[in-house]
Amino acid sequence: MINSIRILRNEINTPTVNSLYFHWDAMVEPGQFVMVWVPGISEIPMSLSLTGKEKCLTVKKYGDTSNALSKVEPGERIFFRGPYGKPFTRVKGKTLLVGGGSGMASLRPLIDKNASGVVAARSSDELLFKELFAKDRITVATDDGSEGIKGNIVDAMREIELEAFEMIYVCGPERMIKSIVDFVSVRKINMELSLERNMKCGIGICDSCSIDGFQLCTDGPTFNLSTVLTMKEFGRTKLAESGKRIWF
Amino acid sequence: MSISDISTSIGNIHLSNPLILASGILDENGHTMKRILSEGAAAVVTKSIGMEERNGYKPPIVATDDPIFINAVGLPNPGINDVGEEIKIARESGKPIIGSIFGKDENEFIHLAVKMQEYGVSAVELNLSCPHVKGFGSEIGGDPTLVKKIVKGVKGSISIPAWAKLSPNVTNLLDIAIAASDSDALVLINTVRGMKIDIYSGRPVLSNKVGGLSGSSIKPVGIRCVYEVKSNLDIPVIGVGGIESALDAVEYIMAGATAVQIGTALWKYGRAVFSKVSMELVEFMSSEGYEKIEEFRGIALK
Repeated sequence: MINSIRILRNEINTPTVNSLYFHWDAMVEPGQFVMVWVPGISEIPMSLSLTGKEKCLTVKKYGDTSNALSKVEPGERIFFRGPYGKPFTRVKGKTLLVGGGSGMASLRPLIDKNASGVVAARSSDELLFKELFAKDRITVATDDGSEGIKGNIVDAMREIELEAFEMIYVCGPERMIKSIVDFVSVRKINMELSLERNMKCGIGICDSCSIDGFQLCTDGPTFNLSTVLTMKEFGRTKLAESGKRIWF
Repeated sequence: MSISDISTSIGNIHLSNPLILASGILDENGHTMKRILSEGAAAVVTKSIGMEERNGYKPPIVATDDPIFINAVGLPNPGINDVGEEIKIARESGKPIIGSIFGKDENEFIHLAVKMQEYGVSAVELNLSCPHVKGFGSEIGGDPTLVKKIVKGVKGSISIPAWAKLSPNVTNLLDIAIAASDSDALVLINTVRGMKIDIYSGRPVLSNKVGGLSGSSIKPVGIRCVYEVKSNLDIPVIGVGGIESALDAVEYIMAGATAVQIGTALWKYGRAVFSKVSMELVEFMSSEGYEKIEEFRGIALK
């Protein structure tokens, strides 16, 4: 079933990221995603960046489909199917949200009074949703040093006592998540990671997004740290659009 | 009474149960195939592999509205030279891997079949029926002369079995089945050509517009095709189309199928569908007093 819903507003977050707000009467949990279709172009997976009565899709412009989507105006329709995937596990107590690039989009529904954040980007103007955290609860890193720590997301995480959190939620590109997994390795922490891979069907059929026999779209996209540590393909090889195995 | 035995054999290929993963579903990555085999499938058929690397179609590649399931994936594949690694990983399972291949003529099919044999597959499945890629599949599978040439050519070039997967999108299935009867088994049926239009955008949903309908919507077509072929030809048939439960599988077996393939049901039940259907089959056979599958295979034909 394809939902077609008129958006309420289109907000600019950074030079490359927009958020589309709309009402959708469906139960969605943080970490779940939808397949968004732009008729005539293509269809892409996107996490919901708000999961209450008002829903939100936060679009990073990187290709034809996301570019077209970022230009949808209030009153115009978006088309999508879902929600799909396994949500993050919710906990009571202190949480740490670690988002690289546009990764903070899928973590945004988890921002509450118990949440602290780590936001990393190439430069200051690309830091997404850092303003949604209290000033003393946010650690920022930029590659060019234009804001916060000069360095990557792991450099920012070194500043934080990770064991103090009931749960650490992570979202970002696979290469970045690999560096985090290597960093925390077997430390005694609770961590869930939302992974990204080339996805075509979104419903556990086509095998495009699989890692070690797990389908990201139905077994994930969220996995706990111990499962990710067992994945031999994670951060090493993946299948191209054709199904050809390629190295990271 | 002894526990029902759900094993079966297609020629010299022994299967611990009659359930095979159909081509096109979760069979691109060797690790996925290996996991599916460890979770209950008796064998897997790979995605269809051609001469060259192909990306397939842009999404949307599926249009679903339960129970309707239409796909046009567009034969994405790494090309025959780069698929060996995936087959090697899948073979670590110790269970049969069937290599599906597609080509535009006899020579391509022969080349692909020989390579698949080198990679160690247990059989090749000739995709003579992909309904949504021009120049391949159905366009070949609807021509009895070409089908006969391809099957003969492949059979003469390899020592492992060759199965022929046929399309229901033809005027006379029996003519094609007869043309393909030099193969070791017929796989019936591929998807039925179909389409879905989204009425709010006024556009076909699939990027390729036309796709293949599968799942429970096509089961009666599949049953009819198996029945029709088994009524006229003495050749092993593998039934496929809309199998979600053991009751569906039993229907195909009663129409004469030696084994069945499952694909679309993974949409609803996930990889666990294989162990689910196996368990249901044991239950059905015990409650009906069957000890072996042979006892009810083809009984509807009599």
